[in-house]
Amino acid sequence: MPPTTSPDARARLWRAAQLAPVLSVLVLLFGGALVLALAQSLGFAPWFGVNTFPDPSYFGSLWGSADFWVSLGLTLAYALAATGLALILGTALALALVRAFRGQRLYKYIYKLPLMIPYTVGIALAVLMLGNGGMVSRLAAFVGLIDSPGEFPRILNTHYGWGIIAVYVWKQTPFVALSVYAVLLGIGRDTSEAAAILGANRRQIFWRVTLPQILPGIVSAALICFAFNVGAFEAPFILGGGYPDTLPVVAWRYFNDADYTLQIQGMAVVVSIALVAGLILFAWLALYRWQERRMGRR
Amino acid sequence: MPLLAKARHVRVSREGVCVTEVQLRSVAKRFGDEVAIEALDLRIPDGELVALLGPSGCGKTTTLRMISGLETPSAGQILFEGRDVSGVSVQERNVGMVFQRYALFPHMTVEKNVAFGLSIRGLPKSEIAERVAEILGVVQLSEYRKRFPSQLSGGQMQRVAIARTLITEPDVLMMDEPLANLDTGLRGEMRRFIRELQQRLGITTIFVTHDQVEAMELADRVAVIFDGRLAQYGAPDRLYRKPASLNVARFLGATNLVPGRLRDPDLVDTPLGTLVCPWRQGQTGDAVHVMARSELIDIGTERTAPTDIEGRIIAREFFGATVSYSVACQNTHVNVTEQARRMLELGAPVWLKLAPEHMWIIPE
Ligand SMILES: Nc1ncnc2c1ncn2[C@@H]1O[C@H](COP(=O)(O)OP(=O)(O)OP(=O)(O)O)[C@@H](O)[C@H]1O
Ligand SMILES: [Mg+2]
Repeated sequence: MPPTTSPDARARLWRAAQLAPVLSVLVLLFGGALVLALAQSLGFAPWFGVNTFPDPSYFGSLWGSADFWVSLGLTLAYALAATGLALILGTALALALVRAFRGQRLYKYIYKLPLMIPYTVGIALAVLMLGNGGMVSRLAAFVGLIDSPGEFPRILNTHYGWGIIAVYVWKQTPFVALSVYAVLLGIGRDTSEAAAILGANRRQIFWRVTLPQILPGIVSAALICFAFNVGAFEAPFILGGGYPDTLPVVAWRYFNDADYTLQIQGMAVVVSIALVAGLILFAWLALYRWQERRMGRR
Repeated sequence: MPLLAKARHVRVSREGVCVTEVQLRSVAKRFGDEVAIEALDLRIPDGELVALLGPSGCGKTTTLRMISGLETPSAGQILFEGRDVSGVSVQERNVGMVFQRYALFPHMTVEKNVAFGLSIRGLPKSEIAERVAEILGVVQLSEYRKRFPSQLSGGQMQRVAIARTLITEPDVLMMDEPLANLDTGLRGEMRRFIRELQQRLGITTIFVTHDQVEAMELADRVAVIFDGRLAQYGAPDRLYRKPASLNVARFLGATNLVPGRLRDPDLVDTPLGTLVCPWRQGQTGDAVHVMARSELIDIGTERTAPTDIEGRIIAREFFGATVSYSVACQNTHVNVTEQARRMLELGAPVWLKLAPEHMWIIPE
């Protein structure tokens, strides 16, 4: 018997073949880009005639300016607020959807609409509705709440970021609802009914029985939303309050500057975003793991 | 038992145990256009163990869900101790339910699962710990208290579900096919366990099953349900020996159901000849079936009485303790089961004795 291909070795080979496409994309494209970005932000850009690697001065000047920290604060604040709101609204929506009610089928179609509409359309809708002279202000003037549409308080383009948060929440609530809904269907209603018979009221059922079971779904949905919100560019660019901008917008401005050596500065911003987002997501996961361990799971 | 005093629908029996009588009055349940329960009348005496027996989809689970308050009847009333409970929420009914698939909380240890009902009621931690330890001892799971449900066997999960329910001291205990997922050995063990526990605590218990042997062994009374209707309700031996309808007889495993016509109050013309069975109902000419339980028929190789029925063994099945013969008589088949003390040969001519007191007439 030739000892060439045992079933074991074949299984391993097959697994490698399955993993290879994704792995190569991840390692070559993504990993390579990351290394390149890091190298460039440290002064390695021979194609611009710059090569002072390793040169921490780009980070130094970036992190040394107070505006950077304001930008970072704004970026995180918008992302956190939007993620938190979407989580609460999406979870509530999912909980409502698993109960039978009239018009449920129609509702199940409608709530997913924002998922199919691109962000840019959402942003345009926000401008139409919430902008100065938008539908909401006209309506308010028409009803007589204010004298003219111009008196309507500014919602968009302020540093409160209402418009940005609104667009994120509009788009991500259905996403959270969709993922939590799938988890809820999986756990079924048995455990919550058992809890009710044991005497638990609605609130107790949610906090002690339902939430712990859907938590993994919520945690991963939060991860995806937050990562997107931190790095997204269009919404803060169009709906944001101007200087100081959020970090992705800052990076974009550097990249678009006539002085192309500023691209290196832009790279430092991008790497900073990646660092901060990575740290926060890592901490979030560590917190979740710790919580799981505390409950005795894993 | 400190919690019992607070329970609402209870009466304290002479033995000092709290008991609740449950009554269903023409209860019906529809899901949209589909009728799950047509009209169910049932009185479950306090402290008894009643089995709901019926084929899949006949409405057993739905009945339990209505008693527990998880489902609202479309019509009719449910009474605990004579009081209508339609306005009482699930949480306040103080019933217990062991679900068909256990429904343990997967994110809690055995201990936490069992403690849930008490911790919801806000009992002090020390008292909870004490009572959890006690009930885990009763169900023999003390050493598994730190495990998660996914780390338990079916029988262990089952016992956790029972302990979790019993610790809240329900007035009415309901179990939805609690033994369906267990292997034969464990099933017998759990059956004895449930019976003993129920007798010790004296809780009114409703038990769903579609296994007739289980119903016979466990229950004080059995309610047979077909298509959302009560087909018969009575003591197990009565159902077994004197089924009210052909369906009940078949469901309880009767094999010898011979069609016939009533000739006289206690004479029936059948393909086996004219049989003598006591019956004081119906009129001459009525179509009936005669049921003769296979284990109550005597089989012999000689004719000893003029009423003996001649036949020939055409098949034989050996079950270890018993042996079952299929006997061709005239143009019907009769099944006969007897202790496996002897083995009659295939093809042998035999004589069957059908004693009048062992036969039962079922009207059409
Ligand atoms: N939520 C529901 N919606 C619609 N129909 C239902 C619902 N629950 C039960 N039914 C129907 O009601 C009938 C009775 O169901 P039920 O679950 O009570 O049966 P069962 O006797 O417990 O059966 P099994 O032995 O298989 O558990 C079935 O025909 C079922 O399809
Ligand atoms: Mg059922």
